[in-house]
Amino acid sequence: MSAVGFAMFNPKFDQSWKRSVLSVTCGLISCIVLILLWEWMGSSPENPVTQVLPPPSRFLPVLFESDFKIGLGSQSASIYQSIFVTLLRVLTGMTLAFVGSVLCGMLISLSKWSELFILPILGLIAPIAPIAWVPLALVVFGISNLTAVFIVFMGVFFTLTIATVAEIKRIPDNLLITAKNLGGQEFNVWRMVILPSVLPGVFTLLRLNFIAAWMAVLAAEMTGLRDGLGAVVMTGRNLFNSNLILLGICVIGITGFAVDRLLLLIQKKFFWWQV
Amino acid sequence: MSQVPSAVLSCHNLGKSFGRDRRRDTVLADINLSLQQGDFVTILGQSGGGKSTLLKLMGGFLAPSSGSVSFHGQPLKGITPKIGMVFQEHSLYPWMTVEQNIGFGFKVRGELPQSYRNRVQNMIEQVELDDARKRYPHQLSGGMKQRVAIARSLVVKPDVLLLDEPFSALDVQLRRQLQAFLLAIWRETSTPMLLVTHNVEEAILLGQRLIVVGDRPGQIIAEVSTAAAEFRGRYHPKFLKLQRHLESVLEYNSATADLEYHPEETASAWQN
Repeated sequence: MSAVGFAMFNPKFDQSWKRSVLSVTCGLISCIVLILLWEWMGSSPENPVTQVLPPPSRFLPVLFESDFKIGLGSQSASIYQSIFVTLLRVLTGMTLAFVGSVLCGMLISLSKWSELFILPILGLIAPIAPIAWVPLALVVFGISNLTAVFIVFMGVFFTLTIATVAEIKRIPDNLLITAKNLGGQEFNVWRMVILPSVLPGVFTLLRLNFIAAWMAVLAAEMTGLRDGLGAVVMTGRNLFNSNLILLGICVIGITGFAVDRLLLLIQKKFFWWQV
Repeated sequence: MSQVPSAVLSCHNLGKSFGRDRRRDTVLADINLSLQQGDFVTILGQSGGGKSTLLKLMGGFLAPSSGSVSFHGQPLKGITPKIGMVFQEHSLYPWMTVEQNIGFGFKVRGELPQSYRNRVQNMIEQVELDDARKRYPHQLSGGMKQRVAIARSLVVKPDVLLLDEPFSALDVQLRRQLQAFLLAIWRETSTPMLLVTHNVEEAILLGQRLIVVGDRPGQIIAEVSTAAAEFRGRYHPKFLKLQRHLESVLEYNSATADLEYHPEETASAWQN
């Protein structure tokens, strides 16, 4: 049965399908309106904004001619490489923070004393903005991928650990009592009941923290690291190349949006339940 | 109602209080009851009267303040898989399918799937959830969810099944369907069951023996045998008379309440 045919015989699917089409259409329309506005603003040569914000009709042909290469000679790298490097840093840091925070949160919840001693420390470190770790990370790890991964990790880990402890406390008693009543071994109760109960909530927070992690890595790339999307924007600034600056900004926005959608997809596919 | 040695589950002078000193609140006092093999006992009482607390004490989920609970003649020391429990609100795991929820008792004990697959399959058929085996709890109706919860408790073959107002959240039609379902399951498995409810009709219809727990502190104020066939039909005159009697017992918190309430009517009714 075709997708359209399936939708016709399944009212629920039909509704969600319509909602998706509507949301994509509205998003596209607003993007087109924004581009048109940008083009209209930049079309007047007297407008001083045109010098720093070239319209799409001038900006896009330059990009295609340049083969999306940034830098000179052997130092040059393609924009795809920059996207890959930045994504790799963010996703590695977030994955480590996610796994680490869930494990730490569970370990802390094992004992009331560890909660009393460790949670205040986490509460003290969690509000530190990830960007504040940049100078320290550069001194400790130097100019390397490790610096970026460390910044992302520090920006996400503490908040997620506190969230894991809170999620464990929020698990309905019935779910735990039932598992114990059925003869559940302690380790299996943690693995089969507590872990799946906390994962959706912690993952949602991870998704919300992604923006902060993303910004932190870009800041690190702009201030210390030599590659990645943040470095593209800084190269544009150093060369007085507004096209390059715009390219960096656009790619940062589009990639960030794409990753957020990807995380949403993962959430819907693997962590869809609520306890 | 003294402790019977052959009882599967029994309690002796059971009491439970919460709080300390002046704020001490005695919820239950001097409860004596026993559950024999094949029994279906219903405990009737008003909401907030300590029925659920009694059930939690009998299941080892709470420690008594006074008295004791015995399981197969031995003091009950805590939660045991041999005493199954079905809660008022379903406690299904939302990330598991019907089949996985029913087989969860085996899995969480670390048993291998091949050792329990057939038992789970048979239970799914017994509770008529064959078509829904791959569905998740959010895709089930309230009645189906409770059937899964009951099946999950029964599949591990407990010696006793405790039910804490399992149908109170359901509409009348669904509740009646599930009452019939529970009776059929009880007849098939002969598992002793102890069910608490505030619904008089449900208490008469399901139990072979009905115990009324009074209000604050909760004490047994009446015990009625409801094993006779007349009590299986909710429109039978005897059923209706007992229902009216128990309603007034609950209202006035006294076993002789209906004599005070409808003296001329009930006195003749209960002499017959």
